Amino acid sequence: MAAVNGERLLDCAICPNMCRCECPVDQEWRREASSPAGKARLAHLLLEGRLEWDSALLEVLSTCLGCRGCQLLCPFPGLDLSRELLRVRTEVCPAGITLPAAVPYLNNLKKFGSPYGARRSGSASRERQGRPEVLYFVNCTAQANNPRMQQLTLELLGAAGVSYEVLDQYCCGYPAQIWGDLDLARQLAEENAARIAGSGASLLLTDCPECWHTFTECYPCWGSELELPVIDTATYFLELVRQKRLKPGPVKEIGRITYHDPCIWARVADKCEAPRELLQSIPALELEEARPGGQETRCCGGGAMFQLTFPERSARIARRRLSELPPSDALVTSCPFCRENLQADGAEVLDLVELLSRAVFQEKDE
Amino acid sequence: MADHLSKVIQEERPSRPDYASLAKQLAAIVGSDGVSADGADRLANCRDYWPMGTLWFLEGKSPALPDLVVWPRRTAEVAAVLKLAVENDVPVTPYGEGSGALGGAIPLQGGIALDLKRMNRVLKLDRDNLMVTVQPGMNGARYEEYLNRRGFTGGHFPQSLRCSTVGGWVACRAAGTFSTRYGKIEDMLVSLEAVLPDGTIVHGRDLPRTSTGPRVDHLFLGSEGTLGVITAVTLRIWPYPAARIYRSYAFETIEQALEAIRRLIQAGARPAVVRLYDSAETAHHFPECKEAAGRALLILLFEGDGGIIAAEAGLAAGCAGEQGALPAGSEPVERWLKTRFDIGISSALFRQGAVVDTIEVSTNWTNAAPLYHAMQKAMLAVEGTVLASGHYSHVYPEGTALYLTLIGFPSGDKEQYYKRLWGAAMESCLALGGAISHHHGVGLHRGLWMAQEHGTTLEALRLIKRAFDPQGIMNPGKLGLEEAAKWRQ
Ligand SMILES: Cc1cc2nc3c(=O)[nH]c(=O)nc-3n(C[C@H](O)[C@H](O)[C@H](O)COP(=O)(O)OP(=O)(O)OC[C@H]3O[C@@H](n4cnc5c(N)ncnc54)[C@H](O)[C@@H]3O)c2cc1C
Ligand code: SF4
Ligand code: SF4
Repeated sequence: MAAVNGERLLDCAICPNMCRCECPVDQEWRREASSPAGKARLAHLLLEGRLEWDSALLEVLSTCLGCRGCQLLCPFPGLDLSRELLRVRTEVCPAGITLPAAVPYLNNLKKFGSPYGARRSGSASRERQGRPEVLYFVNCTAQANNPRMQQLTLELLGAAGVSYEVLDQYCCGYPAQIWGDLDLARQLAEENAARIAGSGASLLLTDCPECWHTFTECYPCWGSELELPVIDTATYFLELVRQKRLKPGPVKEIGRITYHDPCIWARVADKCEAPRELLQSIPALELEEARPGGQETRCCGGGAMFQLTFPERSARIARRRLSELPPSDALVTSCPFCRENLQADGAEVLDLVELLSRAVFQEKDE
Repeated sequence: MADHLSKVIQEERPSRPDYASLAKQLAAIVGSDGVSADGADRLANCRDYWPMGTLWFLEGKSPALPDLVVWPRRTAEVAAVLKLAVENDVPVTPYGEGSGALGGAIPLQGGIALDLKRMNRVLKLDRDNLMVTVQPGMNGARYEEYLNRRGFTGGHFPQSLRCSTVGGWVACRAAGTFSTRYGKIEDMLVSLEAVLPDGTIVHGRDLPRTSTGPRVDHLFLGSEGTLGVITAVTLRIWPYPAARIYRSYAFETIEQALEAIRRLIQAGARPAVVRLYDSAETAHHFPECKEAAGRALLILLFEGDGGIIAAEAGLAAGCAGEQGALPAGSEPVERWLKTRFDIGISSALFRQGAVVDTIEVSTNWTNAAPLYHAMQKAMLAVEGTVLASGHYSHVYPEGTALYLTLIGFPSGDKEQYYKRLWGAAMESCLALGGAISHHHGVGLHRGLWMAQEHGTTLEALRLIKRAFDPQGIMNPGKLGLEEAAKWRQ
C-alpha cells in the first residue's frame, strides 16, 4: 500500500466537512471527532507529531466504514479519505496499539483463518478433472452467517456445467488490514495466492465485495498479485444467463424487489449494471430503485467489519438505510455484510445468488 | 493530550469547577456516552470554520479548548445541563456542525461545548399548514432530503447546506442561495423553543402571526448561543416546485445590472436565485460563457408554478433588455447548480500559505454599487491582498447583499494582516452606511465592530443578555456583548 498522502489528508482536515451529510458514521455518531474532516484533522495532527497515539485516538480513526459516501460530494477529485485513514491506521499507528474491540477477532483470525472463529468444514469440492474453470472463494462472513450461499452457488455452477473448485481455508486478509495488522493480512494473502495459483483455475469467483477489493487492489501491493481475473458472482452469472447456460424462470411470491447496491460494488468496482441486468433476466420481476441507489447508494453499516467492532452502531446505520428503501416483496443485495446487516429488524434479505437460485431451480423442484 | 496544543485566545474565568465531578453529574443527565473529556472530542469541538481557526490549526494551535463536550438528546436534558452549568459557573458554548464563519462556536472560556447534533429528529410535519418542526441538530442536507421524500422543499440552500444544522441557521440568521423567493431563515421561522440558562423553557406558537407583544422566541434569531439554547424550530415549507426556468444576462457594468435587478424585484418578481458577479468572478466561474467576457454576469433561477415563473422570466428579459444586457442562456445557471458546493480552491490556497476569507454585508439599492467599489478599494489597499472580488446574491425590494471574496499572501504576520484586512472592509462598509453582516453573523471576530454597527442598540442588547443570562455563562465573548480582550489585542 502506498504511503499516506499528507497533502490530500490536509485538504480534508481544513475542509468544513462538505460531505458529512453523506457519511453514515457522522449521521450515527453525531460526534465532531468522527466526522470525515474531524478524523482527518486528528490524523493530520498525529502525522505532524503534535498528538500522541493511544487506543482512544485509534478508535476514532477506525470509525470509517470505507463506504466512499464522502467521495460523492468531495470537492477534491483525488481524495479517498477512507484509504488515507486506513493507511494512517496500518502504516503510521505504532505497533502495540490496537482497536480494543478488534482484539478477539484478530485472535480468531490468527488461530482459525477467520475472524468469526472455527470455520465450518466440508466444502463440497468437486472431483478434480483437470484444471477447473472457476475457483470459488468462500468468504468468512457468508460462511459464518449464511452457509447456504456456498451450496447455492455451487449448485448454480453445476447446473451451468461449469467445472469448479472451492477455496475456503483462509480469510482474504481484509479484516486484518482494517484492524491494522498488515503482517497478518500479508501472510493470509500469501497463503491464498499460493493456493489460488496451485488450483490452475482460469478465474476466481467471489460474492464478497471486500474480498474482491482486497484481491484486486491490495494483493498486488502486498507482493501477492493474482495471475487470474477476479470476478463477482453477479457479472459471472449474468454471463452464464446470456450464454443460456442458466435459465431463470419466474420466482413464486416475488413480483417486486428492491435492490440495495453494496457501496464497494457500486463506487469502488463500478458494478451497478450487472446486478440489475441479472435481475431483469428473471421473468416477471419488477425492480424498485432505492433512493439513493446505484452509485449514490448508502452503506448498510456493515463496512469495515463494523458488525463485529461496533455492533450496535452498525445495526442502527442499517435501520437508517432500511428506512430509505421502498417496500416490495423482497429486499435483494449482493454482499454478505449487507445481507446480514439489513436483517436488523427481522426483514428478509436475499443475496442475488439466493434469488437466482430460486429462479433457476424453482420450476424444476415442483 | 489536547492540552499541549497552545490555546491562542482562551480567556480565563475566575471559577475553577471540578470537571471530573461535573462530568459524573452530567453523565447522570445525558448518559455516559453523552459526555466526554477525551482529547479527541475537546479538539474537535474547539473551533468552527472561521479562517483564523484554520490558520491556527495549520500551525498546530487551537483557539481555545472546551473542558467537556456534552451531547444532549432532549430539551429536558438541555435544561438540566444549563442549570448545572449555572450552579457551577461553567461557560456553555452551543455547537452545531461547526461551519460558522466567525468563530462563534469557539469555547472562549473553556467549559462545556454543548454539541446539539444528537438532537436531530423531525418532531412534526404539518402538511396542511406547510410547516415542519425539527430538533436543532439536524443536518441541513438531511433536512431537505426528509422534505423532498415527502414532496416538499425547505427552500434553504446555504453553500454550507451539507455541513450545517437547522439550529445553527436560526442562531446565525443564515441565508440560502434561493433566498429571493423563499427568504432568509428569519422569514421561514414560524416559532422556536429555547432553554434559558436557568432551565426555563420558552416557546412560541406555530401560528401565522400574533399581536400579543414582542415575540420572545424570535429573540433567539441571530442570538448565536449567547441567550440560551434553541431546542426546536418550526419552519415554513413549500410544495416541491413544479417547474424551473434558467436565464442569464451579461451587462456592461455592475450599475446597469443592479438597476435591472432593482426594477425586476420592485415590480414584484421573485426569482429563487439572483446572483450578479463582477467581471473578475464572472471570468473565474464562467470562463466558457462568451457573451459574458469582460462583463458582469447575472444568473436567474425561477421556480414554482409554471405560469407564474414564465411571467417572471418575461419580466426579467424586459428589465435586462432595458439595460442593454446580452442574453447568455441557461448554461451558466446549470454550471452554477453543478459547482455551487465546490470549495476545493480555498483549501488549496490555505495550503499554499494564503489567507482566504469571505465578507458579506448588506445595503440599500442606492448604495449598492458605491459600497462594492469602496470596499474593494479599501481591501486591495491592504498590503498583501491579491484579490477582492464580489457578487450580489440576495435581493429585496429595499436593497441587496454584497458578498466579497478575499485572497491575500501577506509577507508578515498573518494574524495582523487578517485584522488589517477586516478593519479596512468593516470601516469602509460602516462609512457608507452598510450593515456589517448579511448572513454569516457576528461570532467572535465581528464583535470588534458591533458598537459601531449598533450604537445605543448594543447596550439594549446587553440588557437583554443580562436579563436572560445574569451570570454570563452562555457563549461568553461573542456577538460583541462582552470584551474578547485577547482577540482584540
Ligand atoms: C463553505 C461554507 C459556506 C457557507 N455558506 C453559507 C451561506 O450560504 N449562507 C449562510 O448563511 N451561511 C453560510 N455559511 C456559514 C455557516 O454555515 C452558517 O453560519 C450556519 O448557520 C452555521 O451552522 P452550524 O450548525 O454549522 O453552526 P455552528 O458553527 O456550530 O454554530 C454557529 C453559532 O450558532 C450557535 N449555535 C449553534 N446551534 C445552536 C443552538 N441550537 N442554539 C443556540 N445557539 C446555537 C453556536 O454557539 C455558534 O455561535 C457557510 C459556511 C461555510 C463553511
Ligand atoms: S472527504 Fe472531501 S468533502 Fe469530506 S471532509 Fe474530506 S475533503 Fe471535505
Ligand atoms: S468512507 Fe464512508 S464512513 Fe468513511 S468517512 Fe467516507 S462516508 Fe464516512
